[in-house]
Amino acid sequence: MNKQTVSPLASGIDRRTAIKQLALACGLALSARSLSLLADSFSIPTDVSRRSQTALNPQQLALVRQLGEIIIPTTDTPGAIAAGVHDFINHQLAYCYSEDERIQILDCLARIQSVAQTRHERDFLACEAEQQISLLRDMEAARNEFDASDRQAFKQFKALVALGYYTSEIGASQELAYAPVPGGYRPIKFSEIGKAWALN
Amino acid sequence: MTNTFYIGKSQEVYDAIVVGSGITGGWAAKELCEKGLKTLLVERGRKVEHRKDYIGEGVKPWEMPFRGQIEKSVVDEQYHIQQQNYAFNDATKHFYANDRDFPYHTPENKPFSWIRGNQLGGKSLLWHRQSYRWSDLDFNANMVDGHGVDWPLRYKDLENWYSYVEEFVGISGSVENIPVLPDSKYLPPFEFNAVEKVLKGRIEKKYRDRKLIMGRCAHLTKPGPQHTALGRVQCMARNECQKGCSFGAYFSTQSATLPAALKTGNLSIATNAIVHSVIYDDKTNRATGVRVIDAETLETREYFGKLVFLCASTLGTTQVMLNSVSEAFPTGIANSSGVLGHYLMDHLYGAGATGIVEGYEDEYYSGRRPTGLYMPRFKNVLRKDADFLRGYAFFGSAQRETWGDLSHRDGIGAEYKETIRSAGRWNFGLHGSGEMLPRFENKVSLHPTLKDKWGMPQLHIECEYSENDKKMREDMAETAAEILESIGLKEIYKYVRDDWPPGLSIHEMGTARMGRDPKTSVLNGYNQAHDVPNLFVTDGASMSSCAWQNPSLTYMALTARACDYAVQQLKLGKI
Repeated sequence: MNKQTVSPLASGIDRRTAIKQLALACGLALSARSLSLLADSFSIPTDVSRRSQTALNPQQLALVRQLGEIIIPTTDTPGAIAAGVHDFINHQLAYCYSEDERIQILDCLARIQSVAQTRHERDFLACEAEQQISLLRDMEAARNEFDASDRQAFKQFKALVALGYYTSEIGASQELAYAPVPGGYRPIKFSEIGKAWALN
Repeated sequence: MTNTFYIGKSQEVYDAIVVGSGITGGWAAKELCEKGLKTLLVERGRKVEHRKDYIGEGVKPWEMPFRGQIEKSVVDEQYHIQQQNYAFNDATKHFYANDRDFPYHTPENKPFSWIRGNQLGGKSLLWHRQSYRWSDLDFNANMVDGHGVDWPLRYKDLENWYSYVEEFVGISGSVENIPVLPDSKYLPPFEFNAVEKVLKGRIEKKYRDRKLIMGRCAHLTKPGPQHTALGRVQCMARNECQKGCSFGAYFSTQSATLPAALKTGNLSIATNAIVHSVIYDDKTNRATGVRVIDAETLETREYFGKLVFLCASTLGTTQVMLNSVSEAFPTGIANSSGVLGHYLMDHLYGAGATGIVEGYEDEYYSGRRPTGLYMPRFKNVLRKDADFLRGYAFFGSAQRETWGDLSHRDGIGAEYKETIRSAGRWNFGLHGSGEMLPRFENKVSLHPTLKDKWGMPQLHIECEYSENDKKMREDMAETAAEILESIGLKEIYKYVRDDWPPGLSIHEMGTARMGRDPKTSVLNGYNQAHDVPNLFVTDGASMSSCAWQNPSLTYMALTARACDYAVQQLKLGKI
């Protein structure tokens, strides 16, 4: 398998063409019918009909949006806001979390707000960037106003942000290396790809 | 694909009826059709067409409404058992049985996880594809220590059948000359990564009785003409097999045995046909067919055949047999021995150790290898050197921490993002796969009152680990940790999971076992019922012991051999 075929489906080129190239790269003479069956199997519409409900009120959503961007900011690639992490979390909490788990996350948000009020007498979103960052760092380190359960809650929230980001198109294919059809397995030097894989 | 081979009602007397279309049912159908028998394949679930019905395949993570996760209410209500399986997610869930519709019963304090794939292709779509031969260490085991009945066959009886099925399936692996793990002719093995090469060297230098080899798996690393003729393509190393594979790169009913059987023109298929029982004629002492319940209409109908092969999965087959009562067999067909439903086994998983390998930050890999490494059994091989009977193998692999692992690290902001982008440290683990003893007390029976929505009596499953099993799991963890320590790993984490009930390894076996004596076994050495000569059972139910290797390859070899024998006997007029 040569290097060209590492991720033919990643670039958004026509899927049928991609499959044909793959088959050629593997030295296989597939019939036109097999090719079209293969290509058909790779065109699935996005199903968003399953997620009409949301879990966050507008204030909570705005907070989650900003927290996501602080945790995973825009650098040389877009950050959490561009990747729509807040929208992802809004649905995920509504559908995939138990009531208890959802309350834990909402409590985490409330805790962040309440410490912002105590420290700076204003809403977290109205705080200076350095104030926001230092508050979150304290929370993760369980220091000052925060204890071990705050740290735990923040860790859970952060993992949810990471899930939303690294499974988004931006997170998976711009920030990390995305190869839906690798073509084979081989050891490489890290420098050949220069970043971690999105799919493991 | 035309659909003329799908049937509903039929008065035809088929040469053979095969119940179940998973790994063994697919093989039975192929073998019997290729030998010229008009064969009816009866499947309880829906039709799943190769490629067309792999609806989760190729869907990008961000195209899934919950990025692969599933609504909690759906999991709680419909998949509370199935979700325990590692491959269960939004892109595969349609290949798992719905727990709400397929209830079973266990005692309060003895959980058993029954993972099922009720559709055309069965669990052949979901299996882990590891393919290992057994050796006489395994076929002698019951005779040597007296647990279970002696296997009525030995390695030499299966050797050529292993070769026969492996040639067709396509097994990737390496020739190793390890006595307890006989070799075959393999397709090229997958590659070791840099760290695995180093660790293999260290382990094999340190332990002369242990080898770390590339896992042998049913993947086409280099398809032969027999594979491409069926439209099967080289493995693309996606490692998302359980979504279905349009490349046909791993062996499944859909990719391999079904197209081969259809080519003969001898195959008919009835889907959504839940077998209620085997029809038995006491005048001729023959099975004459099966009674089925239509999964959609609940109507009952019958299919007739000269041979009946039960390949409905270990517990599925046993349920049908227990439910096939007659004057001659009041406790289930072919159960004059009384052992039907007993001696349930599963492999001992959920114990081992992991650790961190320092360095090698400039090494990586491309692709997602669909197999790991394998350390074949080394305890109780040449002499008894453990405080338990039988033994275990280790699975393992080395990889770098993923974004999922790294997301739990402390930190926020650009630095956190960079940590994840840079890939994490290397880790390596050894995870046991051990042999569970066959014991009479581990059993399934029909629940006296509970039924499913089709009126089938529910299975009551009573199974727990023995002292020997527990000792072995402890030893897996201890030994794995000891090996990792001796080869210089750091931060070693040793585990014995108590949330790994029997069944979850999905290698349930033994409830209609083979044996030499009709008084203590259900089947003879050809998977033929001692009591009913035209009734064969070739799935996991037939196993007299469970060994420590993944069983599917052995099921395939047994099935092909049983088909050969059955057709010979049929032609001789003996059945």
